[in-house]
Amino acid sequence: MRRRVLLSWAGGLARRFPHVIRAAALVGIAFICAALTNAANPLGIRWTPSPDGRIGLPRVFEKRLPEVNARQALEMLRSGKAIFVDSRDAKDYQDNHIPGALNIPMREWNTAWPKMRHRLPKTRTLLLYCYGGKCGLSTRMAKRLLELGYQKPVILEYGWKEWTEARYPTVSPLPPEKKER
Amino acid sequence: MKRLPSLAWRLITHRTLLRLMGMGLGVVFIYASLDKIAHPDRFADVVREYDMLPLIFINGFALMMPAVEVVTGVTLVLGLWRRAAGLLASALCAAFLVAIAQADLRGLKVECGCFDVSGMSATQASWGLFVRDIGLLAASALVWRKG
Repeated sequence: MRRRVLLSWAGGLARRFPHVIRAAALVGIAFICAALTNAANPLGIRWTPSPDGRIGLPRVFEKRLPEVNARQALEMLRSGKAIFVDSRDAKDYQDNHIPGALNIPMREWNTAWPKMRHRLPKTRTLLLYCYGGKCGLSTRMAKRLLELGYQKPVILEYGWKEWTEARYPTVSPLPPEKKER
Repeated sequence: MKRLPSLAWRLITHRTLLRLMGMGLGVVFIYASLDKIAHPDRFADVVREYDMLPLIFINGFALMMPAVEVVTGVTLVLGLWRRAAGLLASALCAAFLVAIAQADLRGLKVECGCFDVSGMSATQASWGLFVRDIGLLAASALVWRKG
């Protein structure tokens, strides 16, 4: 009885608002299209975050993005095993950064990248960092670098936040009075 | 005096004009979806920057939204289920308006993600885009209500 009422109610709704039902059908078709194109796309992503919690990471790159903690990064800095790349905005880099780090602001990739690319050999380990563990800029940069053929991008897991909390060395290129301007 | 608005209204809601409007909208939606379908990872990054959705939904949204755009666009261009497609187009435009307005009000520096998600210095979300989207919403609503 209840089922019949429900069906007649749904039927009435469909007769009254046929375009709403059709719009829902179009969304269903879109879902099938999205699933098919994503499966066929070499840069396809998961429908949910990757197992290590990254957003928008193509499946092919999932196992190619190792993370290091601040202590491991410090060892890499001391041994000179990696080139450090700061993906934060230029003004934050100018305030303070890890010694020797190059700045490629991810939000200005198109202008910053051509100026810096010659300083980054494809075979070297590149340690990328941004503001914190969830800022996402270093993941975005790592994806770009992998697409460009770089072999060893590594991400500092909790970024600048972890580095400064551990009180590891930083440099500030501008004197305090210039920073204030 | 009374005739002028009704004449303008009749002109705007003329069947041929509505068809052309629907086709134009369809082309815009198809064009807008192409780069997002090719680069779902980059579109997910853009969606994340708007800071509107829980992280767990961002990938799914980044996959679904361009697909809805392309299906809506194709349906509008072909002139099939025009009212249903108009309804979807209106919903999409309304969602874009909300996203752009909240980003501007919160002072977020985000890319629009409207047509190009490959270039990192793509158009930034701004009130200019808001006005453009109002135009698209008006056209979509006309196709939905009168198409």
